[in-house]
Amino acid sequence: MAMFVKSTVIRNAVATLGAGLLMVGIAHTADLSTANLTDAQKVTLQKTIETCSACHGLNGRSVAPTFPNLAAQTAPYIELQLHAFKDQTRADPDAQAYMWGMASQLSDASISGLAVYFSKQSAAEGKSGNAALIAQGKQIFVEGVPGRQIPACASCHGAQAQGNGPFPRLAGQHAPYLLKQLLVIQSVLRTAPVMHGVIKDLTRDQMQAVVAYLESV
Amino acid sequence: MIGIRAIALHQGKLSLLAIGLLCLLSAKSWAVPSFARQTGMTCAACHTVFPELTPFGREFKLNGYVLDNIKQITGIDIDSRQTLALNSIPPISMMIQISYTHTSTALPDSALPGALAKDGEVLFPDQASFFYAGKIANELGAFVQLTYDGVADHFGIDNTDIRYAHHLSFGGTDGNSHNMILGVTLNNNPTVQDVWNSTPAWGFPFAGSSVAPGPIAATQIDGALAQSVAGLGVYLWLDDHWYAEISGYSAAVVGGAHPLDSTQSNVAHGLAPYWRLAYEQRWDRNSLSVGTYGIDIKTNPGNGTPLQGLTNQYKDVAGDIQYQFIGEDHLVTVLATYIHENQTLNASFFDQFAANATNTLKTSKLTGEYSYQRRIGGSLGYFSTTGSNDTILYAAAPVVGSSTSSPDSSGYIAELNYLPWLNTKLQLQYVGYNKFNGSRTNYDGSGRNASDNNTLFGLVWVNF
Repeated sequence: MAMFVKSTVIRNAVATLGAGLLMVGIAHTADLSTANLTDAQKVTLQKTIETCSACHGLNGRSVAPTFPNLAAQTAPYIELQLHAFKDQTRADPDAQAYMWGMASQLSDASISGLAVYFSKQSAAEGKSGNAALIAQGKQIFVEGVPGRQIPACASCHGAQAQGNGPFPRLAGQHAPYLLKQLLVIQSVLRTAPVMHGVIKDLTRDQMQAVVAYLESV
Repeated sequence: MIGIRAIALHQGKLSLLAIGLLCLLSAKSWAVPSFARQTGMTCAACHTVFPELTPFGREFKLNGYVLDNIKQITGIDIDSRQTLALNSIPPISMMIQISYTHTSTALPDSALPGALAKDGEVLFPDQASFFYAGKIANELGAFVQLTYDGVADHFGIDNTDIRYAHHLSFGGTDGNSHNMILGVTLNNNPTVQDVWNSTPAWGFPFAGSSVAPGPIAATQIDGALAQSVAGLGVYLWLDDHWYAEISGYSAAVVGGAHPLDSTQSNVAHGLAPYWRLAYEQRWDRNSLSVGTYGIDIKTNPGNGTPLQGLTNQYKDVAGDIQYQFIGEDHLVTVLATYIHENQTLNASFFDQFAANATNTLKTSKLTGEYSYQRRIGGSLGYFSTTGSNDTILYAAAPVVGSSTSSPDSSGYIAELNYLPWLNTKLQLQYVGYNKFNGSRTNYDGSGRNASDNNTLFGLVWVNF
């Protein structure tokens, strides 16, 4: 899950300076009330979120499908991915191009704060698409592909693709982004141990169907 | 853009000796690895193919070049005010351009009448630059380019933009609030501060020959003021849609006599207002911007006349459009601009540098670019400048003059690019002229045709 983060604001040293940063109308923007952060950390986290928004959208809903929606993503999944970017254990091309740098200076507290913030954003609404493709994708999502020993996606990602703890929300996600993730996971450019086995025999046509469905949910 | 400065013609003393000077192209500035070092992101985050910016690259610039992901040296005072936030590794980088130029027909020798100069010239380097590009302090950043020019054989200041940017939000609730960047820019070239590639300083072509002949006329905003003015401006960027800027430019000439005097040329007089308004819409993988920009500048022609009294006034009003599609494999960009310049040449007319007290220039540029996986690509551009005839300003002279006293030039630029790595570009460019300084044939009155100036330009361009 790619995410832009402004690292300066996350460093402990800088966090102590947060009160000195001028932020007009911070109360109007991010709801960080549930994040277990000091006031100074909240101010600086707000700056970080502004940086993320350059690609992921001001409300966690991105414009370009290169960048995933983060709104309503599960907090544990966001945390896992940010740590994977920071540790450089998630190494697909876009992760290296964008997120290795962005996550490199994040503190654990900031990662937690970002995860909570984006998990509480309103989810992106599904987009309509090719009805036949969506129906085919829904069948794969709900039932899997028994002939290829591919289990139902819904069994981990939830009946509504809403995600579940470390299993990410997929509903309303950009289809091109999801397709790319399936491809890089299948080719092991992106490490995802559970998924490697699950989708190793998923065809590209089946991928396109299931991501069309997920984008529509 | 290929452009001979009309100002240089005010003297009305065109000679072959002047060719070398008059053929100088406007300097460009470039994408720099300093930013990658500072942000930890690859070039592809901010550039389609350098130096053209992606939407994120535009955000980065509008935010003051300050986004960083490297260790900082910080300081605070007793009130917890941040007094220092300095990159532990300075965002410094280098650029080297090595070029080859071949014009369709060789130019006359500058010293031996009847002889021809060598055609097919390698410049090593064409340009070599040092950059400081990145954060200076919290909310303060800079793009500073120092360039060694292989033709002029000197080292000097190039495009520079120092900016402060403050981000603020207001109104509405979570997700519905307005987001705005308020910024201040201090720069030395009108439009170098701009974030779209449809304006001149960063416009197509991003590199061109510095030894091939270029057309006689160009508008002031189209490079004529680069590194000879200093501008201070304020801008706002609202909700990732609206950009508005007001700047003021005054003379800031590098080199020559100081204090500025009659030995200089085309020296800005007073404060010249520059404006910019643009709207950008992004959807899916696309972005479209539509804007206007312009400058109203008065100058003293100098060139042996005092920098006092009568002035020339140039009113440039321009419109521009940029479209980008950034796919996983396919990238497409369309750039277009139209510049209209009204010239009131009271000083030049009085000093007999111009035959008319008023003139006009109109420049159009349209470019389409394509890149496959940011590796292989090509561009096709059309350019045209037309305007009123002036028997002195556009006088007949070998190669650089006009036998019809006309500033009209038009042609196309075709370009192929190969980028084996994101910071290395191999470029092959062909510039073809339909009309040069007013005519297709014998445009200079000395038998040279427009197509004789057609130019093949090869370039090795590395940034590191």
